[in-house]
Amino acid sequence: MSNYAFIGKSMPRVDSRAKVTGEALFTADLRLPKMLTGKILRSPYPHARILNIDISEALRVPGVKAIVTGRDVIQRKWGVFGYTQDQQFLPADRVRFIGEEVAAVAAVDEDSAQRAIDCIRVDYEILEAVFDAMESLAPTAPLLHDNFPHNINVHVPINVGDVEKGFAESYYVREDTFTASEDSYFQGEPYAVVARFDTDNNLEIWMPNAGPHMKAKPLSNALGIPLNKIRVRKITIGGAFGGRSEIAPADLICALLARKIGRPVKIVYTREENSIATRQGHALITTIKTGVRQDGRVIARDVTCYMDGGAYSSTGPIAVSVPFLCMEQAYKMEHVRYNGYRIYTNKPPRGMIRIHGRAFACGVDTQLDMIGEHLGIDPVTMRLVNAREPGEFTNTKSHVASCAMKETITKAAEKSGWNDKWGKLPPLRGIGIGCNSVQTGFPMGIRGGSQAIIKLNEDGGATVISGVVDNGQGNDNMLVQIAAEELGIRTEDVQLVTADTEVTPSDPGAYSQVSTFIGGHAVKNAAENVRRQLFEIAAKTLNVKVDDLKARDRMIYVKDSPDTGIPLKKVVRMILAQGKSVSGQGDYWPKVDPKREWVKNPFGQMCGAFSFGTTVAEVEVDPETGKVTVLEVTAAQDVGFALNPLVLEGQFQGSIAMGGQGGILTEGHVWDGGSVLNPTQLEYKVPLACDMPKINTIIIESNDPEGPYGTKESGMSIAMSAAQAYAAAVSNAIGVYMTDFPLTPDKILEALQNKVESETPNQNEDVMEKALELIVPAV
Amino acid sequence: MNKQPLEISINGDCYSLAVEPNRTLLELLREDLDLTGAKEGCGEGVCGGCTVLMDGKPVRSCLTLALEASGTHITTVEGLAQKGELDPLQQSFIEHGAVQCGFCTSGMLMAAKGLALNNPHAGNKEIRNAISGHICRCTGYTKIIEAVEAVVDRSLEKR
Repeated sequence: MSNYAFIGKSMPRVDSRAKVTGEALFTADLRLPKMLTGKILRSPYPHARILNIDISEALRVPGVKAIVTGRDVIQRKWGVFGYTQDQQFLPADRVRFIGEEVAAVAAVDEDSAQRAIDCIRVDYEILEAVFDAMESLAPTAPLLHDNFPHNINVHVPINVGDVEKGFAESYYVREDTFTASEDSYFQGEPYAVVARFDTDNNLEIWMPNAGPHMKAKPLSNALGIPLNKIRVRKITIGGAFGGRSEIAPADLICALLARKIGRPVKIVYTREENSIATRQGHALITTIKTGVRQDGRVIARDVTCYMDGGAYSSTGPIAVSVPFLCMEQAYKMEHVRYNGYRIYTNKPPRGMIRIHGRAFACGVDTQLDMIGEHLGIDPVTMRLVNAREPGEFTNTKSHVASCAMKETITKAAEKSGWNDKWGKLPPLRGIGIGCNSVQTGFPMGIRGGSQAIIKLNEDGGATVISGVVDNGQGNDNMLVQIAAEELGIRTEDVQLVTADTEVTPSDPGAYSQVSTFIGGHAVKNAAENVRRQLFEIAAKTLNVKVDDLKARDRMIYVKDSPDTGIPLKKVVRMILAQGKSVSGQGDYWPKVDPKREWVKNPFGQMCGAFSFGTTVAEVEVDPETGKVTVLEVTAAQDVGFALNPLVLEGQFQGSIAMGGQGGILTEGHVWDGGSVLNPTQLEYKVPLACDMPKINTIIIESNDPEGPYGTKESGMSIAMSAAQAYAAAVSNAIGVYMTDFPLTPDKILEALQNKVESETPNQNEDVMEKALELIVPAV
Repeated sequence: MNKQPLEISINGDCYSLAVEPNRTLLELLREDLDLTGAKEGCGEGVCGGCTVLMDGKPVRSCLTLALEASGTHITTVEGLAQKGELDPLQQSFIEHGAVQCGFCTSGMLMAAKGLALNNPHAGNKEIRNAISGHICRCTGYTKIIEAVEAVVDRSLEKR
């Protein structure tokens, strides 16, 4: 199998040297000649009509060069989908959440910009606001958008089979509701944008992004200039986790300021702005009704989910669908019904996040444990009985080609010592298991595929041109590994030109776990194309067939006689001497059903591959403080094929930190109406080094038939299954099924207290009953 | 505000500067001297991204006024490598896959360097403590801890 030079080998990343020396430039590090500082004025009200904006005093502040308001923008609302266009960036008429952009200033320095911001006078007419998804549905609630009745932004209805018949045939049916507050990305790097226009009206723009092409098109629309004038440049990116996939208001605002004054402008968000004015995760209320056979196999499931989407739709239809999809991929069901609603409220807009829909995912697994307890079946068996298997179709008709879900369950259980621990741990110690499946890609229409171009230089080195972006997960290294492998050159011979919309062809972006599967695949195809050109000439020179050749170590060899070869460089020069260049392109489009649509037709092939993962967590709860200490976590994931195990382990470990440790134990926004009370890292607690448990990582390879080298998604499933495992472990430790996430100490203490209280009266009742029996003989 | 004189050594270079009393050390480094390796992740001393060494001890440069650093030797991430040769910690971070997005890396390295200088034989617990004022959202810290441990181990071998 491993006849590869670089593929499948643990190798340090090509981008890490620039990062450890401080040389790597992030957006906020950029400095351009004559650059100004931009600041944004934000709405202090959750819902208000803008009556007037007076910038006259602000314009007189020394050092102020430009101010933009809603009067400077094209009146065209943004939405990821045609049917969800609801957000006017820099609105002129109405604001819908605290922190919404109202005006912006460019000045010679930050102090001057801030002084001008303080001098802008805005007259508001305060409107009634709504902060709770269920209240927002009420007929008396204020409407956020006139064309969305009942404040329902998106409704995804799915109905497969006959759920009622399934419940009727079930041995046991139960219904439970699970809830979670909003969570947030807290990427290392706060959001920042630098923009400049040249005299020909070309825009150069830098910002952390999860897909430069996904930024360019909406910017083109919003600025009213052609796409080939929008140059989203490559820059080092400090994390995305789902939060930087679409255009941000600051992108447009920075460009407008730069165009108005004819100088470059830089906007750097504070940590607070990053939390309230980029995106957050959704708050969820999920009711799950499940019917099972006596052996634990799920017959029917009916899920209703209300997601608090905040003021605008963002990736709404995707956000509503993905929690359901993860469930239907991970677990088999005969009949299933889903009604997912995304509801508008006067809170910041919400997007996709690495542990998207934690109340949904944790709810499904918690309920499996509840059912298992009723039936006398342990959690591992409950999951094995219901686990997805290869060759099957999901309820919404996606074929699952590769799947090692069962292996992830058994391996994670074995490594964690499940059989020795389940039901045998001392009080307040618990163990829990969670399983999940994530899509490798989404149906993305005309942006669903990726193209790459490779050119070889006369010294045998290669330049790879690809739209793939690296948010920090290691995509650049992945492209280098693939190109070097296929061309038979060293990794240092590969130069990347990536994520720059002036040069690089379209690519779906990095936010749907698809960079290797699609972008890497395109580079592989391009490299194969170039290699074929080399082999045709080499074959003639060596007097062998093209199929007999192999490229390795900058040489082209005859496979069976490694002494017979020709330097790759020489072949390149031979082709150049014939008056031809050595370059080639390759592309890759996933085999998805083009007719599948999130709301109107949620059926057909969803994506090219699905990954499957299981996490087991073991915890200890302090009954005095409610604090959870995590003792050991074991994560097993079917990644298809491990391209770079070192990088994969890092994804597993980071997923456990974000999904389990933070996502279940500490992370959640707290509100006072429409105000976030914990927008910074002081109050919103993300995991620290001292919090992290011992982690075991198990990589399982199912070799997906469609993925390049058999690879598929690997950055999200473990975050999801870790959340589920952590939730299950805490519930197991305290003997109470927890249903509201995150599981902070106050909730754990309350659960323990309620448990004691509910058990004590029961004992009293028993005593009373016995006493009554003595007094009144049973009839 | 009236500028005050500031004598400071940064990465071995001596500077005679005039700075405003409210200028932070981080602003001085990033905006006046183009040393952008130190990052501002929060501006309130929580994330650790702006950490530099002041006379060998890690400090938050966002919470340190430039004038407080008067007469001190400051080392930033740009000053870790010597004559093009990476510091063992930098090399170890690369080899152990301790770098993902890289935004926290400068601060992590400076905290680790401070630990290595002041406690060259630190154990796992001391390493965790030393970097527990630094937020990394990508790695889950495992590989960062391993990278620091490997360097500490090496210094043990030398002894």
